[in-house]
Amino acid sequence: MANNSKNIEVKNLQVWYGPVHAVKGIDLSIKAGSITAVLGANGAGKSTTLKALAGGVKYTGSISVGDEIIDALPVHKRVQNGIVLCPEGRGIFYSMTVKENLLAGAYRNKKVDYSSVLDIFPVLKDRINQIAGTLSGGEQQMLAIARALMSNPSYLLLDEPSLGLAPVIIQKIAEVIKRINSSGITVVLVEQNTSLALSIANYAYVLENGKIALHGVPSDLLKSDVIREKYLGGVAK
Amino acid sequence: MMNQIILGLSTGATYSLVAIGLVMMYKVSGVMNFAYANMGMFVTYLIWWLATGAGINLYVSIAIGIAFAAAMGVVVERYGLRPIRHLSHASMLIVTFGILMILEGLAMQIWGTDYKAFPELVTGVPYVFRGDFGIFVLRRQDILIFSILIAVSIALLIFTRYTKFGIAVRAVSEKEDIAGYMGINVGSVLAFSWGFGASMAAVVGIVAAPKVFVSPTMLTYYQIQGFTAAVLGGFETFTGAVFGGLILGVIEKLVGNYISEGFKATISLVIIIIVLIFFPKGLFGRNVRGRV
Repeated sequence: MANNSKNIEVKNLQVWYGPVHAVKGIDLSIKAGSITAVLGANGAGKSTTLKALAGGVKYTGSISVGDEIIDALPVHKRVQNGIVLCPEGRGIFYSMTVKENLLAGAYRNKKVDYSSVLDIFPVLKDRINQIAGTLSGGEQQMLAIARALMSNPSYLLLDEPSLGLAPVIIQKIAEVIKRINSSGITVVLVEQNTSLALSIANYAYVLENGKIALHGVPSDLLKSDVIREKYLGGVAK
Repeated sequence: MMNQIILGLSTGATYSLVAIGLVMMYKVSGVMNFAYANMGMFVTYLIWWLATGAGINLYVSIAIGIAFAAAMGVVVERYGLRPIRHLSHASMLIVTFGILMILEGLAMQIWGTDYKAFPELVTGVPYVFRGDFGIFVLRRQDILIFSILIAVSIALLIFTRYTKFGIAVRAVSEKEDIAGYMGINVGSVLAFSWGFGASMAAVVGIVAAPKVFVSPTMLTYYQIQGFTAAVLGGFETFTGAVFGGLILGVIEKLVGNYISEGFKATISLVIIIIVLIFFPKGLFGRNVRGRV
């Protein structure tokens, strides 16, 4: 389903929140079909970068998909172009049922197909008519990812899917992300859980204070002392 | 007593219609529309003028009026409110106050301040029912108002539960930014909510006009009572708005009949205070809470 042969190129991305310079000029290259991780501490600019990709914040610089520059597209049009964000803190609609949440995710589609998403998340099938606010945290995260998948995206932007979840659930989420990726969807994963992200990503960027501090393939990053000390809880020598 | 309750329900149904419009605009855009009554007033004038001055068929005039109201709502939201959405709710409130005054001034300039008679949509002898319960009288105008309220309620129920755009409206009213990330065009949902709300104001003007006559302040009291009805219902759900209006109408009629007409408005304010103290979420408010 996913039309996924184009890379996303981000050039000199800058975002200001009023007087705060949150993202200070970063370049990303997101390979089609890969899992790209964006890592860093709180306030490093990870979520903002992801929101800029989805068109949810104003930015300068340029973002292009293949040859097409998409800077002029507002957030709802980017969903049509296959870029969908699964926001931090899940952001599910509490007052609506699971089914209605999924339907909201499929807003841009002509046909609504629940079955392929429910195959990935069987737990939601049992709760399809339940009010989403009554789901557990893990189930809510599943719903948030499922809702994002409803629009048949080519690019799935995941903002901290492991936030506040038990280790068992995090493991499940990691498997789900791999499964989604293997179906041809390019994944951009923002995470504070560095070991999780590096275990599934093909490529990773590490942000510090709105700039890229390091980037590379996970096997190289894992050898780096900086990564081990700052992000993997290693002891400084 | 029975007849008093029916009369109360009829007035209350009008309050429900006011409340439905207010709640729709508030839920989606987060703005309390103070110009609501005057939007309805202005459109009622327009319909009156089309039907009596320009000689157009009354029903055609009504259709034009409602379409005009919807367009007015959309324009006010798009060009009056959206440019300042990022500022604060207070600034948007002030804009609605400005529109209130502009519309009142325009109506006075164009049509003067005389009371104008508005034709009843349905005329004829009332239905009288006799039985063990005594006698009760149902005016045709009451039946019209009830039918409109029932039709609007059912339409809203179907719209918000079973249509994609209805789901989008609920999504935007709960989490505007996230709705945008889902591909929902938040701007068109905002515009819709104001278009719908303003058309409800026009409907209220049309059903109230035969009783209160057409004048620049014809709907002011309805706005206050509609607001009270919405507060009673929790300002969140359309069900709350409908029942809030009906309850308020009956209370008001009973107070007017058994205590004094002069206390009608006072009582509604007392009701707001009591409800807010004991049921801050309204009588029909839902506690929407999510686990984190």
